[in-house]
Amino acid sequence: MENAKLRAKSITKSFESDRGERTLVIDGISMDIAEKEMVAVLGPSGCGKSTLMKILCGIQSATSGSVELDGVDYGRELPRSILRKFGFVFQGDNLLQWRTAEGNLRFILETMHLKGPQWRKRVDEMLEIVGLLQYRKVYPHELSGGMKQRVGIARALVHNPEILLMDQPFGALDAITRRMLTFETLNIWKETQKTIIMITNNVEEALLLASRVFIFSPLPARVLHEVAIDIPYEKRDGDVVSTPRFLELKKHLNELVRSTMAGGERS
Amino acid sequence: MTALRRKRKPLQWVNLIAPLAVLAAIFLVCEIIARTSGISEYILPAPSKIVTGVWNKFPADISPHFLLTLRVTLLGFLLATALGMVLAALISQSGLVTKAVSPVIIWLVITPLITLIPLLTLWLGYDPMQRVYVVVIQATPIITLNTLNGFTNLDTEKKELAKAVGCTKLQRFCKITFMNAMPQVFTGIKLGCINATIAALSADIVSGNIGMGFKIKQYIKYNNIDLAYGSIILVALIGLVTYYIVESIEHKVVLWKN
Repeated sequence: MENAKLRAKSITKSFESDRGERTLVIDGISMDIAEKEMVAVLGPSGCGKSTLMKILCGIQSATSGSVELDGVDYGRELPRSILRKFGFVFQGDNLLQWRTAEGNLRFILETMHLKGPQWRKRVDEMLEIVGLLQYRKVYPHELSGGMKQRVGIARALVHNPEILLMDQPFGALDAITRRMLTFETLNIWKETQKTIIMITNNVEEALLLASRVFIFSPLPARVLHEVAIDIPYEKRDGDVVSTPRFLELKKHLNELVRSTMAGGERS
Repeated sequence: MTALRRKRKPLQWVNLIAPLAVLAAIFLVCEIIARTSGISEYILPAPSKIVTGVWNKFPADISPHFLLTLRVTLLGFLLATALGMVLAALISQSGLVTKAVSPVIIWLVITPLITLIPLLTLWLGYDPMQRVYVVVIQATPIITLNTLNGFTNLDTEKKELAKAVGCTKLQRFCKITFMNAMPQVFTGIKLGCINATIAALSADIVSGNIGMGFKIKQYIKYNNIDLAYGSIILVALIGLVTYYIVESIEHKVVLWKN
């Protein structure tokens, strides 16, 4: 792909245990993500997909390979100065429990030294986008799981990043809330035009959101399949899940996922 | 939105009345036993006699001693809180220093430092205010220990959040680590205020001729057992009131812990 927004170049990652044994977690992954594209990563749990996501946004460093952003190669670890271009939604909500909903958003602006009325306004705008404006003075322990995760999404967007990374953001939520937030994410993507990479363990979620789905192998992670989802975004609504093309793709993806799992069990 | 907030009012009344009822019951039972059982008043003076005795003696006889012990306790406690937190903040900056110093702090917590009072008297002289040092020495380690635990127990996700937004070391400490440690910090401060009270009274008892510890010793010597009991309760009140003040501040700060 030419003009990739974000590019992973043969990234590997291994961890060393206390006894000095090295475990390979990521085994040479290369991915290109285009500007304003939304892609999903599907894979068995514990396959290293979270680790890859953390390398892509500078939380961890790669053992080898490099990350390229807007055509600039930053090597194994992103420098602090460009972290502002990324927003990260954590698997657990990971909110600061001593700060209100808006306080959690302001935390990002404070650490990044983003001051002024336009940023104050942006806090309200982001809470509005996730439908929590009237809860801005409420503490996390007074919010439901879905609401907390929404604050997490608003927080990842508040500094106006170019790329949004979502690490299984809806994994801990019930099915109804999950479906609702999936459509909200779709709307947020349409509204904000961010580049989004989302890890998920839910095939339908991937089908509703992504233009391409990457299927990872069990540990150590490799990209086994890359599937383009040819359902136009304007048709992705509550009814699309029962259309023949959607069901066909769902079956195909499920089969691919199942075959990777089986492969993992054999090896 | 208001429906989400916890309703605290009715619970608070119960929290206040229930312990007072227990206190009244203890008072009543002791009073009845003291008056009817024939136990010597040198062992169990009637609570009513303790209260009236202290009431009459407080202005002239007890108050200078009480005020000194109060000053020593509060001053020592405040200094220990500040010192304990600063020490913990400094130690926590390095994992190696934390590992090296932690056993020493535990050792200091366990050692009854009142045994040092005669030595301190030898070094510093008889000025009653030097008892503040005893309080600081006794209360600081427990505050440092708990605060340090809080500062070093930051979960991985919070560390990753700090990394993701590019926090500096100072930002991470002030905005995440410090606030995250608040529950443990307050546990330390509350234990510190208990230790401060004990240390102040011990210092009174061991040396000098002023302070509540001295007064209690004197009352026992002259067989004023009711006044001795009353003075012990007065000292306990210093600790109790400080404890509750700290706890009410904790409720205002640590909103997320029930």
